[in-house]
Amino acid sequence: MKTLPVLLRVLRDPAAAVGLDAAGWDLLLRQALNADMSAILLVLLEDAGLLEQVPKAARSHLEWARMTGERHARAVRYEVLQIGRALSGLGLPLILLKGSAYALAGLAAGRGRLFSDIDILVPKAQLGEVEAALMLHGWAGTHQDAYDQRYYREWMHELPPMEHLRRGNVIDVHHAILPETAAVRPDPAKLRAAAVALPALDPGMPPLHVLAPHDMVLHCAVHLFSEGEFSHGTRNLFDLHRLLLEFGRQDGFWDGLPARARALELGRPLFYALRYCRRLLGTPIPDAVLRATAAEGPAQPLRALMDSLFLRALLPAHPSCADAFAPLAHGMLYIRGNWLRMPFFMLTRHLFHKAFLSPDAKPVH
Amino acid sequence: MLTVADLPRRELAARLAGPGLVLRTGPFANRIRSDIPQLRDGIALLYADYPVDAPGGFADFHLSLRRAGGLRRFFRPQVCFSHEGVSPFKPLPLAQAFPMFEWVMNWCVTHRAHSWLIIHAAVLERHGRAIILPAPPGSGKSTLCAALVTRGWRLLSDEMTLVRLDDGAVLPLPRPVSLKNESIGIIRAYAPDAVLSPPVENTNKGTIAHLKAPSASIARVGDVAQPAFIVFPRYEAGAPVTLTPMGRARAFMGVAENAFNYQVLGMRGFTALGQLIDATAAFEFRYSKLDDAVQLFERMARDGV
Amino acid sequence: MWRVVPGQSLVFREWDGEAVLYNDLSGNTHLLDGGAVDVLLALRAQPLDAATLAARLADRFDADTDADALPAAIADMLTDLARLDLVESLPC
Repeated sequence: MKTLPVLLRVLRDPAAAVGLDAAGWDLLLRQALNADMSAILLVLLEDAGLLEQVPKAARSHLEWARMTGERHARAVRYEVLQIGRALSGLGLPLILLKGSAYALAGLAAGRGRLFSDIDILVPKAQLGEVEAALMLHGWAGTHQDAYDQRYYREWMHELPPMEHLRRGNVIDVHHAILPETAAVRPDPAKLRAAAVALPALDPGMPPLHVLAPHDMVLHCAVHLFSEGEFSHGTRNLFDLHRLLLEFGRQDGFWDGLPARARALELGRPLFYALRYCRRLLGTPIPDAVLRATAAEGPAQPLRALMDSLFLRALLPAHPSCADAFAPLAHGMLYIRGNWLRMPFFMLTRHLFHKAFLSPDAKPVH
Repeated sequence: MLTVADLPRRELAARLAGPGLVLRTGPFANRIRSDIPQLRDGIALLYADYPVDAPGGFADFHLSLRRAGGLRRFFRPQVCFSHEGVSPFKPLPLAQAFPMFEWVMNWCVTHRAHSWLIIHAAVLERHGRAIILPAPPGSGKSTLCAALVTRGWRLLSDEMTLVRLDDGAVLPLPRPVSLKNESIGIIRAYAPDAVLSPPVENTNKGTIAHLKAPSASIARVGDVAQPAFIVFPRYEAGAPVTLTPMGRARAFMGVAENAFNYQVLGMRGFTALGQLIDATAAFEFRYSKLDDAVQLFERMARDGV
Repeated sequence: MWRVVPGQSLVFREWDGEAVLYNDLSGNTHLLDGGAVDVLLALRAQPLDAATLAARLADRFDADTDADALPAAIADMLTDLARLDLVESLPC
């Protein structure tokens, strides 16, 4: 494999930053900025005791990122507090997903992480109550186009994103971790049953929950490997890496992981997660686990094809990391992401709608 | 030290079209790439005195302003800004390339440079005292700023006041002063020798031109200033000059509301702003005649009251 | 009974009877009058109810405020401060 981009080299080993010249730091910071990982870079260098060795000009940028990182951490705690208050009367277990879960649970994967939306998991039967309670407390639905509404409510696994009218923060309410329309249906009831309670944020509120360690890793894996768009591919892969490092130290974590993946029908995403974490980030994974999950992977030649796609898409999205085949790889994975989430006839209609009819413009990449 | 004026025109064009022109403004190195002649000319005119770094090193901000591609090129040419492979804004008509450049140069700083409390305000210095002029768009701040600049005040910035978090000093970031609509004519009359860019019409703020920053201000880019006054200006036709003292707590809130990154800085921003308010006297200011305003500020800077 | 919300350090600056206060939870900054700051500082020392607060702070508020109106005014102030996540009521 060609030399890894400088951002990946430093994520694997922060000491790799120490020898960089001015141009090297320039590129590292730009790749990190594009990946939304500047504050994570700061955390890694600071934890490794290397901050003093960073040249002054680059050091300023890391200190800028410190401000942004702290701001996000503060904002996510406050937003989760407000969400918890809005839903506290409903008596349902509030389960945080993804970034806000890592942050509120005090996991390494939450440090330096920036947040856009907050994702929660609630029982499907209570979606209506949840939506009503949120609206009562100042959130409003987005994506008012009838097609988009149907996309989210009927076919996907979530309400259309809701935006708080005053604060502007967005909440995504899920009832499952994969869409209704997907071929694989990990049972949300199993996820909820295994969920872990966190210390209460507020004495008046019921405790928050996060997924159990196995499920948190598997959710991260399925989210990353059934996605169609990889603008945060490197960051999400690094989330996985940090989760595996932290949970890997717990007794029984590695032993139970392959079996839990099979129980949730998530063997394939786990295979990819372990494979690409190891290849790109050097995540230490016990041989026994690699052997146990090997059969879940695709057979050749599909395996080689998926390597060529993912090993491009998971690189930092910065233009400096793209080769001639990157656009094609992204295109194919976009189609694959949608294909995994919905049946073929719906897919073509969906892509047509997105390309020509949807009033929302996406940012140009 | 090499400046833009030292580069032969061909070299300037080659750097912009190729590895990038690395232009220093205030504490920042900006790597600029563009294939647009209007932008090259604007930089040659208004940034003549600014230092230039060799390409290929470290730059704080990387900006690319290029012609948008496709069939559009021929019918309605446009300029597109991209930043690390992302285009955060819609393209604008090609004729607006220089105003767009000024606007994205501001955007880069206000969105990221969190070593300072960045106030949406002009800041100028005279007799060792700096006056900060926060004002929402349309308050006449830029006209006032341009007038003061042509009467010997040192320009630190017309748009972004950078207050150092640890000690409250204001860092110079002198850049061209933007003037809109009637202000352009007013400043031409007020200072006939001032160097102005050709006006650009039909921007979303009307007609815009830029006033070149004085060379003396650019030369002193390394000298911080101590803030003495915070003045919230408002132009009112026919109004006599009135300077009304403002309660400090209200001045605090007024500045916080006009700061780009106050929320991002959290407690550090609160502390730094408190110190700024301690160190300064705050006023609301009404005026109609530029000369009256300039005279009053001169007295304030000279006498300290 | 009222208390300061845990996690609020109540960092504030006061000039001429008006104050600005930093809200550690929301990251917002509030403009408050000196009376509100007095209420917060009193509660920081220990949880109190509105009546006790009124009694303690009576001499700090304007002399012409009706003595009976003060507890109600303080109760209103506490409701406003609660909305800002600065104080919270505890079950008695």
